[in-house]
Amino acid sequence: MGSVHATMDPPGVADGPTRPVLMKGNEAMAEAAIQAGCDAYFGYPITPQAELLEWMAQRMPELGRTFVQAESELGAINMALGAAATGARALVSSSSPGISLMAEAMSYMAGSELPMVLINVMRGGPGLGSIGASQADYFQATKGHGHGDYRVPVLAPSSIAEAVQLVPDAFEIAERYRTPVIILTDGVMGQAMEPVVPIYRMPPRRSEDWQLSGADGRTPRVVRSLHLQPEDLEAHNRWLQAKFATITANEVRWAGEQLEDAEIAVVAYGTAARVARTAVERAREHGLPVGIFRPITLWPFPSAELSSIAPRLRAIVVLEMSAGQLVEDVRLAVEGRTPVFFHGRTGGMVPTPSEVLEVLRRAWATTTPITGWTPETEDAATAEPDPLSLIEQGAWAAEGGGR
Amino acid sequence: MTMTRTRTADPRRIIYRRPELLADRSTHYCPGCGHGIIHRLVAELLDEMHLGPRTIGVASVGCSVFAYDYLEVDFVESPHGRAPAVATGVRRVRPDAFVFTYQGDGDLAAIGTAEIVHAAARGERISVIFVNNGIYGMTGGQMAPTTLLGQRTTSSPTGREAGLAGYPIPITEMLALLPGVSYAARGSIADPAWVGRTKGMLRRAFETQLSGGGLSIVEILSTCPVGWGMTPSASMDHLAHDVVKTYPLGVIVDRLKEAGASAGEG
Amino acid sequence: MAVALSPTQDEIQAPAPFEPLEIASDRCKGCGLCVDVCAKHLLELDESIVNELGYHPVHLTDAATCTSCALCARICPDAVFTIYARPKGV
Repeated sequence: MGSVHATMDPPGVADGPTRPVLMKGNEAMAEAAIQAGCDAYFGYPITPQAELLEWMAQRMPELGRTFVQAESELGAINMALGAAATGARALVSSSSPGISLMAEAMSYMAGSELPMVLINVMRGGPGLGSIGASQADYFQATKGHGHGDYRVPVLAPSSIAEAVQLVPDAFEIAERYRTPVIILTDGVMGQAMEPVVPIYRMPPRRSEDWQLSGADGRTPRVVRSLHLQPEDLEAHNRWLQAKFATITANEVRWAGEQLEDAEIAVVAYGTAARVARTAVERAREHGLPVGIFRPITLWPFPSAELSSIAPRLRAIVVLEMSAGQLVEDVRLAVEGRTPVFFHGRTGGMVPTPSEVLEVLRRAWATTTPITGWTPETEDAATAEPDPLSLIEQGAWAAEGGGR
Repeated sequence: MTMTRTRTADPRRIIYRRPELLADRSTHYCPGCGHGIIHRLVAELLDEMHLGPRTIGVASVGCSVFAYDYLEVDFVESPHGRAPAVATGVRRVRPDAFVFTYQGDGDLAAIGTAEIVHAAARGERISVIFVNNGIYGMTGGQMAPTTLLGQRTTSSPTGREAGLAGYPIPITEMLALLPGVSYAARGSIADPAWVGRTKGMLRRAFETQLSGGGLSIVEILSTCPVGWGMTPSASMDHLAHDVVKTYPLGVIVDRLKEAGASAGEG
Repeated sequence: MAVALSPTQDEIQAPAPFEPLEIASDRCKGCGLCVDVCAKHLLELDESIVNELGYHPVHLTDAATCTSCALCARICPDAVFTIYARPKGV
């Protein structure tokens, strides 16, 4: 039997340059997958991720690996299902409408416990929508695209450099738990160019007793999700739920910035977190103690972590490029203990820091300080600065805030 | 199972016995169902051609969803219609495997039409076993894309009318137009002679894959006695006399053979 | 199949009748396709038996006339038949 897996060492990693290279997000993620040992890529052109497919079209055949532009996203995801069933490291990428076509296969792969990585470069919806960036597929990614009781891990990078790091992590999580994993990005990140340090990681291979290779000298193996007897399917579902509980216990990732003395936290992921960071910097300049809580895994959602921080916050502001999807998980996590404000843009519009500042101002003005909580930092102010002072309002107005 | 079958130390010369790769169990198929015959032929060929150890089969959705319980080779279950895409994924990463799909008429010619057309267009080196019994058996006997005009099914209770439900699709002839299809044939299980010829077609399809050809497809006209509301015997007669009028039997295209012949003429 | 006789044996063993085929009666679904295809009409569903699957399994009515042509095996959807070649002279 010929070897499935790529054995070529990634060129130039060992003694390659550590100088950053300017790379387009789509291409950076593609190369990260290649360097992570991706054996097979299946895709279909759709804006704004076509460059990922094109990069793969050039590079994968160069390396003797599999590249297929399928007849549709439906074809692509099912090709990945087949490749994954043999133990190959498979990648598929698409954007929102194409991801909808993959719902069925995601359910089948979750039920059959097949590892693979799916990158969604989100665009505006619903329907054909727009080709601008959005975060309107949060529900789709985290609550289940297809039918049945299942979850898939969802990783949300907020920079191209982080995306390059998360790609090998995604393969590793997929193979450790035998599950599809989604990397949720958006059109801004896919199309933008940012410096990327070309240091890559190839997770080790796992040879497993479920992988199909031809029943040579062993009993045949079947990869399937059909369990016709209700008792059998319930047992299988219990197994899956236990797996999801394990993932939830072990794989939560999030990042906090300036939360130690924060009284308001902005919760945002992906590109929205970038906007939030600028807004938080400006808010801090005006004396507002604001921080960022940035989920990196959207599933499992860092509920426990957010829940433990919430009591010392007077408000949470959720920022999304959607009509409000992540905000529901935030509300679930805080369980009504903290007022939650929401700001979103849809249709491909990207929120501005000024808009976020406006919401922060409103959150500050309409909530009361938390009493009975001692700040951990020594120099935390006991008197809050008054953001409604004319000086502050003038500064904001000059930036275009409060429009 | 308490049945004893002599496999060892029998002085009698065996002309025929159950193939090794056909699992030692009763099938869920109805009495007289064509799937039983076709599974048997596939198992016989995999045995005879020593393909078992490197076969990866792709099971689809229909009555034959349990094919993996009866054919003792590695199998991956595919969503309805997607088997040619799943097989493409398997084939591309496992160049040395022997890869086949086993699909019914709804799976291949309704929900899966895009997948089979494009696997054929790409000339994927897979063998497609296409069981055409003109009905959706698993779900209770509804109309299929290959249901005959005038045929009564549970979703064409007064008989299929072209104006309402269109014409039966000659999907194999359509696929045979594509250069990526190296072998396309239509057989039948209506009588032992045709069972034998159909086995020959399957053998030729498997050989096409093994010799590096493109997609090979054998459509096999089959029966669904329960769905058709006929006895198994009457079903075979219906196949032999009526179905073949819409779906003629024979080799539709054998491009490797034609290439060989024209090379010989040079 | 004829059995070689020892000249000293007192008892002569009658030759066991040749069985041209074996039928896995527990797998037969009584579909009757083999009954149709047998050129010599030697197969019949045995209505006095109901097997575990709930069907009347097929049985061979006249082993001596069977030519081991195996058409029954070819048409059987449940692979219940094992066919043996009739030795010469039997």
